[in-house]
Amino acid sequence: MIEKLMNIDRRIIFILVALAVIIPSLLEVSFPITVSQPTRSTYDYIEALPPDSTIMIGFNYGPSSLAELHPMAKAVIYHCFQKKIRVIGMTLLAEAATLGDNMLKDVAAEAGAVYGQDYAYLGFRPGATQVLLGMGTAIDSVFEADYAGTSLTELPLMADITNYEQVDLVLDLASGSSTEWWITYTNTRYNQQIAAGVTGVIVSQMYPYLQTKQLIGLMPGLLGAAEYEKLIDRPAKGTEGMSIQSFAHLLVVGLVILGNIAFFIQRRQGE
Amino acid sequence: MRRQVPLILCFAFGIIMALTEFSPHPISQWLNEEIIDWALVIGPFALVLAVATLVQSHWTRIRRRSEYWQYSFLVFIGMAAMVLIGIPGGQRHEAFVWLFRYVQVPMDATMFSLLAFFIASAAYRAFRARTLEATLLLAAALIVMIGNAPVGDLIWNTIMPFQDNFPSTARQWILDNPNLSARRGIILGISLGVISQSIRIILGIERSYLGGVEGD
Repeated sequence: MIEKLMNIDRRIIFILVALAVIIPSLLEVSFPITVSQPTRSTYDYIEALPPDSTIMIGFNYGPSSLAELHPMAKAVIYHCFQKKIRVIGMTLLAEAATLGDNMLKDVAAEAGAVYGQDYAYLGFRPGATQVLLGMGTAIDSVFEADYAGTSLTELPLMADITNYEQVDLVLDLASGSSTEWWITYTNTRYNQQIAAGVTGVIVSQMYPYLQTKQLIGLMPGLLGAAEYEKLIDRPAKGTEGMSIQSFAHLLVVGLVILGNIAFFIQRRQGE
Repeated sequence: MRRQVPLILCFAFGIIMALTEFSPHPISQWLNEEIIDWALVIGPFALVLAVATLVQSHWTRIRRRSEYWQYSFLVFIGMAAMVLIGIPGGQRHEAFVWLFRYVQVPMDATMFSLLAFFIASAAYRAFRARTLEATLLLAAALIVMIGNAPVGDLIWNTIMPFQDNFPSTARQWILDNPNLSARRGIILGISLGVISQSIRIILGIERSYLGGVEGD
């Protein structure tokens, strides 16, 4: 029996994982969400900004991390548009260029934001370090035109924005090391305020920067999205995903505990 | 000459950038910004190099009939399709966006989603409390995992009459304290390594980035 449990067919585990994902998504179960301090700090900072402030959002994630970071992007952008905060989107990853464009357009359509006045999307330029440093001098020295090819001088939003000095917050939505690049080159050199929303697997790497205030806030994965949705009182994909994440995590925790019980019984029998 | 010119350039620009970084003098700042602009121009050449390397490695696989060499044709087809539509039509071309949204996004997301299945299977088989260190790691992982899902707080608050939301509070404590300390140590170690390696490269002691065999 114990031997069987220890060598359980991995296909059974795969089926259990599939069920843990499918069942809660069909049942539409919801759980109360506790907002963590790093997410609240991000929200509080944006909430305290006056209208016509400017936030730069870096869409630094590819389609593989879309499920975690897209809900977060949507919640923050919606919050900004509601508060009449201007949004400038850009990316340091070639594969994210279309993602950022689509996301801004979708949320702008919902919130009634106008391109060129309430938001702009600059797209992608290669050479992450040089892009971050170059924008410190002049944004239009790096992005001479927006994603659609319109010159930045033709966008009313960009009329009074030259470099980071006119940007109140940079929010990096990242699935890789880009947040550390922003901190190294933009926070340290230009004293730019930075917040981040990152995938669950890299969230632990960001905590030293939170303590030193090099990050003013941090949203952890899909949970961060759900927390932000709760703060703006607009439940969406992040909140929906929490029921699936809850069941999947419970399953993995259960499997680990079961595996260890079997391991200890087997070891005792061996002795 | 093939090695001396890059070594001289590396030394000169390394020293200039290090010095201008710390000097607020207008000439120093102008030089620093000018070099960053040059780097912005050089940056896109890395993309050309990446495409050339990709084509070369997959062409070699096809020529040598390596395992699964047929899939290399798919790389060329995919690349050709995106380039042929993207370059003349631009990134906002309907077909380009369609290919991204309905081909690349689902494929990429599917590949990543499969990880959940393998992680669950691997966790069941490999995550064992064999030693004290493994037990601590296991306990921390379970707390963080359960604290990362709202159901953890719900279960705790239902069955335990004290310390509301303990799983998420415990998770936050682990991230704020042991995790932060360990991570800071790693960051300091990496930073010292980067500084020493940078000095070696600027001074021409480390030359492996030039390629070839030492003494060429």
